[in-house]
Amino acid sequence: MAVKSRLAFIGGGNMAEAILGGLLASGYPLSQCVVSEPMQARCEFLYKKYPGLQVLSGPEANLLAVNGSKSSSASSSPSSAGSTTSVQTMISEGSIHVNPTAASLDYPEAEVVILAVKPQVLRSVVSHLGPVLRTKQPLVISIAAGIETHAIARFMAEGSNFLPSELPPVIRVMPNTPSLVLEGAAGMYATTDATESQRNIAESLLRSVSPEVAWVERESLIDTVTGISGSGPAYFFLMMEAMEDAGVQLGMDRETARQLTIQTCLGAAKMAQDATKVEGGDTLKTLREKVTSPKGTTDAAIRTFEAGGLRDLVFKSVAAADARSKSLAAELGGVSTPATKL
Amino acid sequence: MTQIQQQQQHARLAFIGGGNMAEAILGGLLACGYPLSQCVVSEPIQDRCQFLQSKYPGLQTLSGPYANHLAVNGSTSSDDTSSLITSGSVQVNPTAASADFSPAQVVILAVKPQVLRSVVEDLAETIRSRSPLVISIAAGIETSAITRFMASGLPEGCASVNLPPVIRVMPNTPALVLEGAAGMYATADATLEHRQVAESLMAAVSKQVSWVESESLIDTVTGISGSGPAYFFLMMEAMEEAGVALGMDRETAKALTIQTCLGAAKMAQLSTDDLKTLRIKVTSPQGTTDAAIKAFEAGGFRELVQKGVAAADARSRTLAKELGGAKL
Repeated sequence: MAVKSRLAFIGGGNMAEAILGGLLASGYPLSQCVVSEPMQARCEFLYKKYPGLQVLSGPEANLLAVNGSKSSSASSSPSSAGSTTSVQTMISEGSIHVNPTAASLDYPEAEVVILAVKPQVLRSVVSHLGPVLRTKQPLVISIAAGIETHAIARFMAEGSNFLPSELPPVIRVMPNTPSLVLEGAAGMYATTDATESQRNIAESLLRSVSPEVAWVERESLIDTVTGISGSGPAYFFLMMEAMEDAGVQLGMDRETARQLTIQTCLGAAKMAQDATKVEGGDTLKTLREKVTSPKGTTDAAIRTFEAGGLRDLVFKSVAAADARSKSLAAELGGVSTPATKL
Repeated sequence: MTQIQQQQQHARLAFIGGGNMAEAILGGLLACGYPLSQCVVSEPIQDRCQFLQSKYPGLQTLSGPYANHLAVNGSTSSDDTSSLITSGSVQVNPTAASADFSPAQVVILAVKPQVLRSVVEDLAETIRSRSPLVISIAAGIETSAITRFMASGLPEGCASVNLPPVIRVMPNTPALVLEGAAGMYATADATLEHRQVAESLMAAVSKQVSWVESESLIDTVTGISGSGPAYFFLMMEAMEEAGVALGMDRETAKALTIQTCLGAAKMAQLSTDDLKTLRIKVTSPQGTTDAAIKAFEAGGFRELVQKGVAAADARSRTLAKELGGAKL
């Protein structure tokens, strides 16, 4: 992408911020990003952390983020007086709150809309945005856990006579929070009606913040991506927390235990990653065996883990996240469920 | 910089043992600009010497019965060196820049724990006369044991006189990719400068170097960072298998798992939040992460991890007793 697409984040929570923050850190222009976020406290957090970022809240925020301000779509000059006035009107009417330190009140239409709201509210958010999504035809990327692309399409068409072919295709992404430090891992799924260009744009956005990006061929595998990389950082945080606590229990000061643990995690991951880049590189099993002298200290620990059923427990937990993703999809994507009230 | 200036700036290092960890440290130092001419490696296996010579052209490698001594002691003249070579007491790198062997200022004991005692006892007199800083990276050998080995040959009761300070290091294998984590302990007679030299050596391959104030904590370092990489390899292997069992192709499962581990570690490293807070922040109630974490907790994951760390710590203490040997 020579010219960076105008992005609209619908929802400004942790995952949205992880991607946005990572993009900005990697040089994405701030002026090409807008965030729509209902919670004022969260908005203020974003204003402070990303000075000049356009953050909108209020009843019309989602619409403005996607549509741009009314006059700018009609006029050729995006900074014509008309567009600023209509936004000003919305502000004085209270239908919009904006970042007081944002560079401008100009809101050109979004080329990419990133749905980053909680799964439970996605349906109502998307059904309200349906008409403008159909009119503007942005690339729609959903990062919401557990909501399937066919459900999102249905929500977009809700209460209308739109044909599926009239609606923008949805690319579903399961990213993860280390995107914030440009070390994300993401799985992606696109329906067949997504064009190659759309897939490329989505992929390149994710690759700016994720060294590892994988397309999956079946949408059900996004649930598995969720169980591995989507939720995975928390598993390692838990493991590291347990190791840090173990160190403290054995007499080490907490800061030393923490720092040694974290660097050990990082070092192991780096070794594992280097091995994948070499033809015929060591598997994780071989890497482990190479550092486990029989009867040594590592051997003692590994035997404890095996005897304690670590592998099974890990499988169970990954499977639990995968299953929860599937059950969210069933709960929230349901055809027979009536629309949730706003 | 002239050679004399280099010598003043950078201590003369002697590696006793040229195995993987020694090579990692040497390689890391050279990559940071440490002068090759200030390094010598004593390594008994000829093939290994040749490997080191080809990887680090000009590196002074020594093998043979007198190699350890020459590495530590230096030689008084090139004539002495020649006669050592002629007599077969030492083999040197034929392409090494010079045959100059000034005495070592820092000796890095990088031999296997099982042979350390005999190596050090054999070198004892030489070490005593040169009094270098002695750094040991051998697992399970306590500084008091090393000090005792260095006193070998002295009459009982003369022991601690003029014995060099010992710094004990517990490094880990990611040092091989310059991402090591190391714990260090110094005997009371180590000066600040000694500690700084040791720390900067380990910093060449370790992103985290931590001093512990009591030597028993080196066993805990072993349990955490010494053996720790294997714990994460096991965790990642289990996650990869889980992905495959749930229908994902192995390559994708593996790549996503490894990057997730790396990303989590990076976030933890860069954040001021503690690990519990980091986890809570990414765990929406009733969400997918919550489901997984509840399963981990219900299955006693924390306790199991702590048990494993404690097992490695305990084994480290037992090994130290076995390898330190009886006082006599």
